[in-house]
Amino acid sequence: MKAGSPIATSSIWPEAPAAPPSGLARSQHKSPGETVAGRSAVTERAGRARTTKRGQPDREPGLKRANFGRGAGLPTLLLLPQVLILVFFFFIPSLRALTQSVLLSDPFGTTVHFVWFDNFKALFASGEYRQSLVTTAWFTVAQNVITLAIAVVLAFATDRVVRARSVYRTLILLPYAIAPAIAGILWAFLFNPVVGPLAHMLHGLGISWDPNRNPNDALWLVIMAASWKHICYDYIFLVVGLLAVPVSLMEAAAVDGAGPVRRFFLIALPMLGPTIFFLAVMNFIYGFFETFAIIDAVTHGGPAGATNILVYKVFVDGFINLDLGSSAAQSVLLMSFALICTLLQFRYFDHKVNYGV
Amino acid sequence: MKKMAFIAALFGVLALAAPAQAARVEVQWWHAMSGVLGERLNELVEKFNASQDKYTVVAVAKGNYDEVTNGVIAAYRAKRPPEMVQIAERGYMTMLLSGAVVPVQELLDQKGYKVDFSDFIKPVASFWSYKGRMSAMPFNSSTPIFWYNKDHFQKAGFDKPAATWQELEMQLYAIKAKGVSECGTVLPGDFFWSLLENYSAINNQPYGTLANGFDGLGTEFVYNKTKVVSQVARLKKWLDDGVMQIAGQGFSPEQLFTSGRCSTFVNSTASHGNIERNAKINWSATFLPHENDINPPLNSTIGGGAIWVMKGHTPERYDAVAAFLDFVAQAETQVWWHGVTGYVPATNKAYGLARERGYYKDHPTREIAVLQLSRGTPNDNSRGFRFGNFVQTMLAQRSEVEAVFTSQKQPQQAMDDAVKRGNEILRQFEKLNAGKGTEWAPEAK
Repeated sequence: MKAGSPIATSSIWPEAPAAPPSGLARSQHKSPGETVAGRSAVTERAGRARTTKRGQPDREPGLKRANFGRGAGLPTLLLLPQVLILVFFFFIPSLRALTQSVLLSDPFGTTVHFVWFDNFKALFASGEYRQSLVTTAWFTVAQNVITLAIAVVLAFATDRVVRARSVYRTLILLPYAIAPAIAGILWAFLFNPVVGPLAHMLHGLGISWDPNRNPNDALWLVIMAASWKHICYDYIFLVVGLLAVPVSLMEAAAVDGAGPVRRFFLIALPMLGPTIFFLAVMNFIYGFFETFAIIDAVTHGGPAGATNILVYKVFVDGFINLDLGSSAAQSVLLMSFALICTLLQFRYFDHKVNYGV
Repeated sequence: MKKMAFIAALFGVLALAAPAQAARVEVQWWHAMSGVLGERLNELVEKFNASQDKYTVVAVAKGNYDEVTNGVIAAYRAKRPPEMVQIAERGYMTMLLSGAVVPVQELLDQKGYKVDFSDFIKPVASFWSYKGRMSAMPFNSSTPIFWYNKDHFQKAGFDKPAATWQELEMQLYAIKAKGVSECGTVLPGDFFWSLLENYSAINNQPYGTLANGFDGLGTEFVYNKTKVVSQVARLKKWLDDGVMQIAGQGFSPEQLFTSGRCSTFVNSTASHGNIERNAKINWSATFLPHENDINPPLNSTIGGGAIWVMKGHTPERYDAVAAFLDFVAQAETQVWWHGVTGYVPATNKAYGLARERGYYKDHPTREIAVLQLSRGTPNDNSRGFRFGNFVQTMLAQRSEVEAVFTSQKQPQQAMDDAVKRGNEILRQFEKLNAGKGTEWAPEAK
């Protein structure tokens, strides 16, 4: 087989018709007879792939462009639910947050002062807020890297597991079904320095683990808990992404003598570029917005604010401290940070991602 | 067919029930009691409903105190507040100056109920009253007491915990040195309440200027210049020496005590119910310790919640509210509530009644809180705390104390920073609420 041969897509999922031979072929790459079977089972897809390669994707109706007939009625109707959800759960709350952020008001709303940007100025002058910014940066970056790295390894391993693959996949997907607060309590208990079994193991290894008195331990604990909760999300996308890696390329590399690890890093991973880029963006958004339940359960933002990430601070200042103006200002800032972060990612990394094939 | 019959029956029942209910005025009471306390609260409400046929109180559990507070704020802004709501002690100033509540004493006067507020236990009355008038009905009042493991003390050769911090420290170190237990005490989850605020009251230390805020919104924290600093240093030393442990998240400090791991524990008297049920140890309780150069120690202060009455309802509904509050204040209700929960009875009459009936012979530890609250005459340092945004200042303080525990700051530095942060929060409250609260002193108008 040559590298330029028609691109074939195969499935590593046992349910798919072409799977057994090709799956076997990947794990036993030195049997050329089997790879031919794998290719022939999917030749009907080759045509479409070839056209995309020329850079002229076909314009079949129903594939690239939806066709709803004439008039704007049906499209509007179909869009309506999504638009309504956006209006009621995003635009209206965002507008309210924007207005609230320039007000100083008591919780019951009986006294309201317009204070211009005082809430923002107070935030930037506050050491606590700057500490929260730094913590958030560490937290989201570390969480992102760890989640992706482990998910990539697991996805790579899925490809090599032959027996009980569905059990393996299900086990990895399980954490996604656990509520963040429960997951948090679980981690807090396992690593509790007084009673936690895993903490005792660490102590046994001579590591003085104590997230109650060591800010770094606490930060690592919430990073691990948050990553653990999100690995499955990345994993699903990566496994599916791996399906799209042409078997022929892998086989060609195998014939040229590349081992499984080398093939993975030199062929599969670069081809997963768009998926990984997408996941990096999603991980940032997850880290920014969806981790406050875990923080609440594992550390309450402590000790001494060591795990007080921005979204948790928004929650505490708004919900517990009833400081609505500051909380609104913080959520406005948090939203802009997330926006800037996402835009930067698109600006600097998007063009490095290979969307071909 | 069955379904139809069922629906018909249902309508029938509703039709019969409706006129009977229409005669009763229904009012809502949002509360934050869960578990056993929630069940007891429901019993209390049922008792009231059964005691007369004009009013029905509906108790609605709205989650924890924070959730109840947020719930009532949202409801008030939507112009649909409940008639009554239970709010924790730290929310006092927020509620008082919200402009959204009806003063309880005025309401009861107006409706002709004679509740003797002068008979309320002093720190309870002073905490919940403003300019001499009761602003909310004290409901669940507690105070921290000192719990200990009798066997541990006996094994180490002590009768009971010492009365002063200095002697207690020696005892706890001895307990550890003799190998009786590896953990002398456990850091309470609400240590800021028991070991800093109540500590200041008992040891006659000012917490803030203007009589801890009782004399005005201009109050400033001053606990960075008092014994609180050395108290924080003491806790840090105990932690470093392993005499005190932190339970941490995922585990409660109470479990470390009831399981027999830690020898002592400072916690609210309201945990009687839990400790009686869960402790597998030979436990007892006593007064909180005091400093050896402070004699006699002053009273401790309260925590817990009170029932606030919300504005914006019809006179008939306020009839129901007043009748219920009067019921809550009655000595019999107080004695019962005290007995089944461990909260203190709010009035001296109720306390006398419990004593008369020999209740404390069987439950000696339940009397400690009452005695500790009512000893001496409260002064400016022990009357209680009147700080705006008190939750926010407390969280800032907690964070600074944690910075001592994590060895990032020295105690003095941390308390200076806590006071600085706290005072900024107080100034914001003052700015927002200047000139408010005049409706609370009708005679001053």
